[in-house]
Amino acid sequence: MTVATGRGWRRDVWPGIHWIQECGGHRAGIARSVLESGADWYRPGNELYVPQNAYLLTGERTLLWDTLSPASGHILLPALEELLEGRPLDYLALSHPDVPHAGNTMQVLRRYPDCRLVAPATGETHALYHLDDAMKVGPEDEIDLGGLRVRFPEATFLDAAIHTWMSEETTRTLFTVDWMGFPHQSGESLRRTDEIDTVVDVGRLEEFHSRVMFWFQYVVPEKVTAATDALAVQFAGYGLAPAHGLPIPGADAAPYYERMNQVVRRVAASGRGGVL
Amino acid sequence: MSAISLGGGVSWVHECFPETDGHIHVSVYLVEAPEGAILMDSGSFHHRQRLSDRISDATAGRGIGAIVLSHSDYPHSGNIPAFRRDWGDFEIVASCGDADLQGLPYARRTKIGDVTDVLGRRFVVLDPPLADRNHTTWVYDETSRILFVADGFGTLHAPGACDIDWGRIPEDGRAEGVHEFHAQTLPWLRYADPNRVMDALHAMLERHPPAWIAPIHGPPIAEADVDRYMADLSDALTRIAAS
Repeated sequence: MTVATGRGWRRDVWPGIHWIQECGGHRAGIARSVLESGADWYRPGNELYVPQNAYLLTGERTLLWDTLSPASGHILLPALEELLEGRPLDYLALSHPDVPHAGNTMQVLRRYPDCRLVAPATGETHALYHLDDAMKVGPEDEIDLGGLRVRFPEATFLDAAIHTWMSEETTRTLFTVDWMGFPHQSGESLRRTDEIDTVVDVGRLEEFHSRVMFWFQYVVPEKVTAATDALAVQFAGYGLAPAHGLPIPGADAAPYYERMNQVVRRVAASGRGGVL
Repeated sequence: MSAISLGGGVSWVHECFPETDGHIHVSVYLVEAPEGAILMDSGSFHHRQRLSDRISDATAGRGIGAIVLSHSDYPHSGNIPAFRRDWGDFEIVASCGDADLQGLPYARRTKIGDVTDVLGRRFVVLDPPLADRNHTTWVYDETSRILFVADGFGTLHAPGACDIDWGRIPEDGRAEGVHEFHAQTLPWLRYADPNRVMDALHAMLERHPPAWIAPIHGPPIAEADVDRYMADLSDALTRIAAS
C-alpha cells in the first residue's frame, strides 16, 4: 500500500540518501503478539507494519539499493522517476536475491536499460537468479558515486549465500538489510527513530528477529554477540539503514547493538516467534 | 528418463547445476494424488524447458494440478508463472506471512503445524531446522512417509553421480559433499550449536519417520541410509561451527 503520510511514499533521510518505503498490510498477528507481551510502544487499534525499504543514493551518479517486493512496483517506479528528475539510474545494487528485496529488479532494468546491475560476489549460484552478468562486489570493492562512496562489507547476519551489506562512507551509513529491523505503527511510516515518540526496545526488535532470523533459536549466543560487538566497534558512529525498520541516526545507534545482543539471548532461550 | 520413482506415488525429477566443488541438485518431486499430480517446488528457470518436458512425459501430457511450495526463493519458485501458462491456473500451496510480498498473491496459505489436503492427499506442514528463508516449510507426506525438506539435507555430488540416491554415492567424498553444501548454502550455521540443530532434526525424524528424505539440493536419502547421513551431517555442522 502507499504510505499515507503528507510526504507520500518517499523522503530524504540523510544528504544524498532517499528512502522509498513499502509498508505492506497490517500485521494483525504481530500486533496481537505485541499486545500480549504488554509492550507500551504500540497503541491498540493502530495498524502495524513490517516495511520493505529501498534507498536511492544520488551523487554525481545514482545507485538504487534494493527494489521492494513485487507488490510495490507501483510505489517504486514513480518514486524513482520523481527523485531522479530525468537523470539516469546508474546502478541497481541488490543486497540479496530475496523476493521482498529484489522483486522489481526486471521492471527497474527495463525502465533504465543502461543501469548496471550490482550483485554480491559471495555464493556460486548467481545464474539461478539471473545475476551471472551482474557486476559482483565484495568487501574489497568501492563504487564512487561522486560525492558519495559506497562499500560492500560482509553481511554479518544473513540467511543465504548470495548476500552483502552496504555502507556509504560520506554520511557514514550502514545498510544492514534483514538485521536491525522492527515493526512500526500508523503515524510512524517514513520517520527516522529520532522522529517518533515511541521506543525501539528489545521487545520490539525481538518481534522482528524472532521471526526473520528464526535461526537465532539454534545459535550459541556468545558467538552472535561477539559478532555484534565487533560490528559496534567497526561501525561506531554510523547511522543504520535497515531494510525492514526505520533508519537510526549514528548518534543514537550504539545502544541498539546491546539491545540486539539481548534479542539473541532471548530467542536462543525461548525459540522463534513465528513466520513473517 | 523422465523421473525416478521413490515408491508411494512419488518420483524424483532431478536437475543439477555445476559449482566449483561439484554439482548441486536443483530438483523437484512429482506426487501422484487422487485428483491429479502435485509438484513439490517448481525448480529453477534455468532448467525450465527440461523440467516442463520431463513432467509432461511423466504425467502423460496432463501436467500438474498443484504445486506445494517450500518457500519463494527463485530456484524453488521460478517456474510457477511458466507452468501456469503451460497447465492452467493450478493451485499453489505455500507458507508465508504475507503472500503478496513473496510474489504469490494467488497462493493458498498454510502454516507450520497444519495438516493440509492437496488434491486428495494429506501433508503435515513442519517447522524446518535447516532453512534459509524464515517462511520455509518442510512437509511430510503421510501416504508415502516421504519427508520433503527443501534446502535441508543437501549434498554436493560429483559429475556423473546426478541420478543416484545418496546411499549409492561413492563413500569417498560423500561426507565432504554434505559439509560443502551446508557450509555454502546456510551461512548462519557458523553461529549454530550443532547439538541444538541435531536434536531438533532427531525429534522431527522420530515423530515423522521417513521412508525417504527428499531434499531439493541433494539426492534422496533412503530410510536405511538416514543414520549415516545424520552422522555425516553432525560432523559437518561441528566443522562449520568451529570454522
